[in-house]
Amino acid sequence: MACTTPNGAPSSKEKKYDRQLRLWGANGQNKLEAAHIALFGASATGCEILKNLVLPSVGKFTIIDDKIVTEADLGTNFFLDEESVGKSRAERTAALLEELNPDVKGAFMNDSLSNLLSSKPELFKPSTSPFTHIIVVSPFSTPDILQLSPEIPTFLVHSLGWSIVLRIMAPTRCIVETHPDSLADLRLFNPWEELTALAVEKTKGLDKRASEGGMDNYEHGHVPYVLLLLKYLDDWKAEHNGQYPSNYKEKNEFKAMLLDKMRTDVPGGSEENYEEAAAAIMKNLKQADISSDAKEVLEDPRCINPTADLENFWIITNAVRQFRDSPAQGAGLLPLSGGFPDMKAESKSYVELQNMYRTRAQRDAALVLENAQATLSKLGRDPESITLEEVSLFTKHSNFIRRINYRPLTCEYSLPCDDHHRRTVIDALNNWDTEESLIHDYIAIRAFQEYYSTIGRFPGAEDKGLKKDQEMLEAFAGDYLKTLDYIGGLADRTKNLVQEVVRAGGSELHVIASFAGGMVAQEIVKVITQQYIPVNNTVIFDGIQSKTAVFEF
Amino acid sequence: MTFAEEAKWADLNRILSRSGPFTDPDGTYEMAKEMILNSCKILLYTVQTKLTIHPRGAGGLGCEILKNLALSGFTDIHVIDMDTIDVSNLNRQFLFRQADVGKPKAEVAARFVMNRVKGCKITPYYGAIQDKDNDYYMQFKIVICGLDSVEARRWINSTLCKMVDANIENSFVPLIDGGTEGFKGQSRIILPTVSSCYECSLDMLTPPTKVPMCTLASIPRQPAHCIEWASILEWPRVFKDKKLDNDDPEHIQWLYEQALARAAEYNITGVTYSMTQGVVKNIIPAIASTNAIIAASCCNEALKILTLSNPPMSNYMMYTGDVGVYTHTFEHERKVDCPVCGNPATDLEIDPEWTLQDFIDHLAAKPDLQIKKPNLKRNHAQLYEHDNAAEYSTGLDKKMREMVAEGEELEVRSELPFVSKFSLVFKK
Repeated sequence: MACTTPNGAPSSKEKKYDRQLRLWGANGQNKLEAAHIALFGASATGCEILKNLVLPSVGKFTIIDDKIVTEADLGTNFFLDEESVGKSRAERTAALLEELNPDVKGAFMNDSLSNLLSSKPELFKPSTSPFTHIIVVSPFSTPDILQLSPEIPTFLVHSLGWSIVLRIMAPTRCIVETHPDSLADLRLFNPWEELTALAVEKTKGLDKRASEGGMDNYEHGHVPYVLLLLKYLDDWKAEHNGQYPSNYKEKNEFKAMLLDKMRTDVPGGSEENYEEAAAAIMKNLKQADISSDAKEVLEDPRCINPTADLENFWIITNAVRQFRDSPAQGAGLLPLSGGFPDMKAESKSYVELQNMYRTRAQRDAALVLENAQATLSKLGRDPESITLEEVSLFTKHSNFIRRINYRPLTCEYSLPCDDHHRRTVIDALNNWDTEESLIHDYIAIRAFQEYYSTIGRFPGAEDKGLKKDQEMLEAFAGDYLKTLDYIGGLADRTKNLVQEVVRAGGSELHVIASFAGGMVAQEIVKVITQQYIPVNNTVIFDGIQSKTAVFEF
Repeated sequence: MTFAEEAKWADLNRILSRSGPFTDPDGTYEMAKEMILNSCKILLYTVQTKLTIHPRGAGGLGCEILKNLALSGFTDIHVIDMDTIDVSNLNRQFLFRQADVGKPKAEVAARFVMNRVKGCKITPYYGAIQDKDNDYYMQFKIVICGLDSVEARRWINSTLCKMVDANIENSFVPLIDGGTEGFKGQSRIILPTVSSCYECSLDMLTPPTKVPMCTLASIPRQPAHCIEWASILEWPRVFKDKKLDNDDPEHIQWLYEQALARAAEYNITGVTYSMTQGVVKNIIPAIASTNAIIAASCCNEALKILTLSNPPMSNYMMYTGDVGVYTHTFEHERKVDCPVCGNPATDLEIDPEWTLQDFIDHLAAKPDLQIKKPNLKRNHAQLYEHDNAAEYSTGLDKKMREMVAEGEELEVRSELPFVSKFSLVFKK
C-alpha cells in the first residue's frame, strides 16, 4: 500500500481503493495484495468470483482449466468473447480478467484438478504450494476434493440452476478486527478509582440550584451522561445496601429517580444529557462481562499453554488470560477497549472523560504487553517480536475476538457417517421450519455430487432421460439419508429440488453465477484480510426463494 | 436464427425450455423466449441529477446489472445515468478503465457490454428523466433501479405507481430496486399498487444523525464535528458566496487543514484527510462483491418475473455479509395510508402552538413523511410555497392555530411527484 502524501492528501492508489479501504484499511489491503488465488474451473461462476477479487486488487491469480471455449460459454461467461471460441478457456479468461486491473498479475494452466493432484502434488502441499487460497468450482469429483489439504484455505463452490452451495475448509481462523457496531465499554458497575473520583468531583453541586451555590442551568445541562449515571448509581447504592439496580424493575425505578432530578424549567422543558442517561440505562447498567466468543478463545488449549511455534494471536490471548486472572491487573475482567461514545457535553469535560477511558485502556494494553513479552522470553522467542501497536489493536477488541475451527471435509464425507454431520442434517430435517429449510437444497446438490463423481457427467444434460436421471438422483439422495440413519424418507421438497437439479442439467444461469461470484468473494475477502467474520462452514443460497442458510457440516 | 438454435444460449435455453416443480403453470417456453428476445425493453435507472439533492451514483450496481441482463438474453436495454467516471469507481465498476475517467458512465458501459455480448442493444440516455411522460415508461416491461439516492427512488416509485390505469395496456410496470452499503445490501420487488411501494417503507430508513449547530459552533467533541464546522460554518464565513465543491481536492484540503487546527485547539484527535472527505461527501463504503450480490438478485427476480420460469421472491431481501452470511427475506406489507399507493388524507397531529416554521421542520423531520421544501395549500389558498419562500417569510413566525382550523384538510406538495393530503388534528 502506497503511503499518504506529506500534506495528508491520499496517494493515487488510496484514491482508487478509497471505498474499500474504509472497510478493511491498509492492513487488510496489504494482506489482499499478498494473496495468490488458484481458481480450478473457469466457468461463469469461477470467473465472477475472480472478478470480485481482481477489482479490489488481490495480488495474483492462476486459472486452471482444461476446456476449449465453446459458443455456449459466451452465453454465460462475461470474460470470454467471440474471438475466444476454440481457444484455451484458461488462457482467455485469465487474459480478460487480468485486463480489469493493471495492479493484478494473472496466470493460467491448461490442466485439471484431477490431473494436477497426481502429476504436481507439490502445488497442494502447504509447504511448497504457490497458492495462498484455492477456489474449486463444480463440477469436481469427491475423491479429488478429499485430497486437498485443510491447511490451505479452500472454497468449494456449486452453482447449478438456481442453487449455490459454498463450503469453506481452512485452518483455524483467529480474528481480531471483527468490526462490531460499537467498541464502547463504559464499566458503570466496575468503575476504577480515578473514574469514581472524577465522577464525584464533576457532579458536585449537581442537585443544587446556582442560587444555593450549585450548578447553573448551562453547567447542569452539560454534565456528560456517564458521570450522571455514576453519581446516581452511588446515590442508589447508598439507599439499597450497596447493591446496584440489577433487574428490569429496579432499572426502571432508577430511571425514574434520575429523570426526577432533571431540570424541566429550562428552554425546551428537558435536558438532553439526562435523556441520554435514561436511554443508556438498559444497555449499559451491567457488570462488565466476557462474551461467549472471547471465553471460547480464552479456553482454547493454544491460549492456555502457547508454544513457541504459534502465531502472535495465541501469545497475546495468553497474555490477556494472565491479565484477567491476575488480581493486580484485570481481576476477572478483560482489558478495557477505550471505546467511548459521543454525548452531550462541553468539549473540555468530554475530552477529559474520554481520556480517562483511553488512559485506562493504554494502561491495560501495557500490562498485557508485559505479560506477552514475559511469555515470549519463557518460550525462547524474541520479546520484541510483539509490539505495543499489535497488543493495543487486540485489547481494543478483546471482548469481540473470534476463533473459528473449521471441521475437515473428510468428516462431511466419511463412512460410517460422522456423528456431528449426521446430527446437523437430521436436526434441520426435524426442525419446525423444515418445509422452508435449505437443507433440501443441500441434499439435492449432495445427490448431484454423488451422481457426477460416480457417473462422470451431468444429470439432466440431455432432454431424453430426464425421468431416469430424476430417479437416479433420488436414489443417491435416499442412499445418503440412509448413511445418516434417517428413517423419514425423501421429503417432497427434496424431490422438488432434485427436479430443479435435473432441470438445470449442469447449466449455469448467469444471474446465479454472478450472485455466487459476490457471495463467495465476500467470504474470501474476509478470510484473506482476517477481518469481519466468515461463514462456518457452509452457506447455501436458494435463488427461487432468495434465501440463504448457514450450516456447520 | 431462433433463440433455441443459437448455440450461445444453450444453458439458458435448456433451463427455460423445461418447467420446474415451482414454475407458474401459465408460464410457457414460447412466452419465455418471446419475453427475452422480442421487444422486452428494460429500463435501468441509475443516476438522476436533475433533482436538487446530490445523487450518489450507483454505477457499481449499474455495471453489474447491464452485464447480467445482457447475459440473460435481453436485447433491448435502456440505461439512464448522468454521472461521469471517477477514479474511485475503478475498484468495482468493472466496465471502466483508468483511461475512461471523466467520460459519461452510461455511454462507456453500454459500448463495453454491446461489444462483449453480441446482439445486445443498449441505449444510453443522457437527460432529465422528469421530462419523460408516461408513454416513455409504458414502453418498458420492467424498470430496475440501482441508485443510492432516496429522493430519486421516491420519484421513480411514485411515477410508476401513479401511472397504473386498468384501462391502459402497458401501464403496469414492475420496479425492482437494489442498494448496498459495505458488506450489506437489499433488493426488492415493487408491483405498483399491488405490493408495498418504496414510499410504504420510508420509515425503515434510519434518519441521518444531525449534529446540533451549537455543538459545531461552540462545543465540538468528535473529529467529525470539527470537519462539519469547517464545511458548514467556516467555509461560508471565509469565502462568502463561493460555493464549496466537494470534488475539488483543494477545497477538501482547505477543510481538512481548518478541521485539523480546530481539533488541536480542543484536544480532539483523529481528523484525517480521508475522514474529511468521507464526512463532507457522505461517502458510503462500496465493494465489488456486494454490488455483485445485489445486482444479481435484482436481475434474477427480473428474469423470473419476465419468463415465469420460477416464482419471484416475496418481496424484500436484506443481505448481511459482515458477520457470516445472514439474509432476511420477507413480505413487506402495503401501508394503507401510503401517500403514493394508498388512500390519501391521513390524520396528522400538530401542536397548535407551533409556528409555521415549526410545522415545516416537522414535515421534513418526521420519519414517515420526510417532505422537504414543501408547498402548503388550504382551501385553495396557498399557505406557503418553498419556491417563493421570500414572499412568505413574514408568515413563518405565525402560530398554526392562527392559520388553520382543527380537522381542516391540508395539501402538501414537494418536488416529488405526488400530493400528500392531511387532516389536521390538534395536540391536546
